[in-house]
Amino acid sequence: MNPLVPVARLDVRAHACPVTWVKARIALSRIGEGEVLEVLLRDGEPRENVPRSAEEDGHRVMRLEPAPEEGEGTWRAWLVRGASMEDRAWP
Amino acid sequence: MALSDAEVGRYARQLLLPGMGEAAQVILREARVRVTGGGIALAPAMYYLAAAGVGTLWIDDPDEVKPGAGAGFALGPADLGRPRGAALAEFARRANGLVVADPFRPGSRPTALLICGASLDVSRAIADEARLLQLPHVVADVDGQGGAATSVPLGAPCYSCATRPGLGAAPTAEGGATVGALAALELILLLTGASLEPRARRIEVFRGTPLMRATTRQPGCACAGPAAAGLAP
Amino acid sequence: MAGLLSGKSALVIGAGGLGGPVALTLAAAGVGRLVVLDEDEVETSNLNRQPLFGEADLGRRKAGAAAERIALLHPSVRVEGRDLRFGPESAEDLVRGCDVVVDASDNFATRFLANDVTVAARRPLVHGAVLRYTAQFLTVMPGKTGCLRCLFEAPPAEGTVPTCAQAGVLGALAGFAGALMGAEALRILSGERGAYAGRLVAFDARSGRSRLVPLRIRAGCPVCSGVAAASQVPG
Repeated sequence: MNPLVPVARLDVRAHACPVTWVKARIALSRIGEGEVLEVLLRDGEPRENVPRSAEEDGHRVMRLEPAPEEGEGTWRAWLVRGASMEDRAWP
Repeated sequence: MALSDAEVGRYARQLLLPGMGEAAQVILREARVRVTGGGIALAPAMYYLAAAGVGTLWIDDPDEVKPGAGAGFALGPADLGRPRGAALAEFARRANGLVVADPFRPGSRPTALLICGASLDVSRAIADEARLLQLPHVVADVDGQGGAATSVPLGAPCYSCATRPGLGAAPTAEGGATVGALAALELILLLTGASLEPRARRIEVFRGTPLMRATTRQPGCACAGPAAAGLAP
Repeated sequence: MAGLLSGKSALVIGAGGLGGPVALTLAAAGVGRLVVLDEDEVETSNLNRQPLFGEADLGRRKAGAAAERIALLHPSVRVEGRDLRFGPESAEDLVRGCDVVVDASDNFATRFLANDVTVAARRPLVHGAVLRYTAQFLTVMPGKTGCLRCLFEAPPAEGTVPTCAQAGVLGALAGFAGALMGAEALRILSGERGAYAGRLVAFDARSGRSRLVPLRIRAGCPVCSGVAAASQVPG
């Protein structure tokens, strides 16, 4: 497994806080520890909140950069899933 | 995604809790809870289950809405004379349109019970029924301004093992809201597995301070028999 | 008791997860007058825990919707919804107009302002808060028991308050806490000593355990020593 390639992608540009982070958290809970989730975000509150919330929840922000090719005001974040999220295991 | 955008938006604040992620929310959605007993905690308890996203609520309350005790959290003067089950089901749907809420019909098959007995005898009888049906349940007893919530996971010491006489004060609306919300909280934690040991417990509220005690089986109680071992959840 | 309460009034700061059950509890017990204060609108993510509002109320101002709902369920209670921020310009009048203040707000600036103004006005204050799986309660009897500033000298610094990641709330826990706060306010209004007066009670929902932290007036507390300067509120 190449840790540098995202295994999942999430676009939360249509949403506002707290849904942006909640969806990202759900997506993170579905990938394995050490795997990467790519998230497309709007500039402003989501771009500030989601990476910060991810770090506070025990994940790592590998990349955070503007992604104008995806659309005006779009940012790209690569989040590396951390250790156990203390959620019930998905059956 | 297993959760729709509407669900994520509505449950966003609880989805952020450790132990309450997507899988837990789906468990709540798939739960079918019979809310019963006729006690004053029933309306608040039912509200908090609906708000949390318990997918199916069956309200087992055959009386009519009367003035005084039992009204005021969900039902008001405009509801007087209506069947309580239908009125409360409507309130649950108003609180959360994603929930299926109906008066309970015999033959329905719940996966858990929330028992708000109008008296300790009523609580005991229904709790025994739940035990024999091998269904996890939480019992809400209101005593004055407080009371107790007793959590009975499958195979746990039964409700009768857990109770002891209270002060016997007349239940109040604030007691109903307190113990009703607490009972809903306990059932949500039980269903999602988010509670910490001891999972089989009784939390009493007397003069504002919650006091938790693990339940223990009384020697000779029927709940210790093979029927109480229960199937795996 | 109902007769005694009908002559009493309560200020409830916040009409959301805590304020909703507080107001319903006070109204059901027959408190004569309720002032419910909230400056927000009803949002979707509120609906997992705010019993005064349903889907039909989305987008409405909370203060008005709350007052309407309480009046519908309890027509004999005089309820005023105040659609404004609890700030330095409004706080003193609001507090002096009521017999008890219940702080059901969700931010430290409001909590400390409520603390300072209520103690200075010599009104009892019931404070409660819920964060994740913990609920905590404290009642301040001015001049007799410790206040929030006896416990914390100042609000947490900017940036240390919970972000989205930490702000998880379970509706039923807020409901339990709000009902307990309401019951405490009723005890105060009836002339009883509060269960949370002089001690912080913290309840952990997952284990069901409670912790009690005694709180006496701290020597040198600027609020309790009678210096009644209202705190500065940013913004």
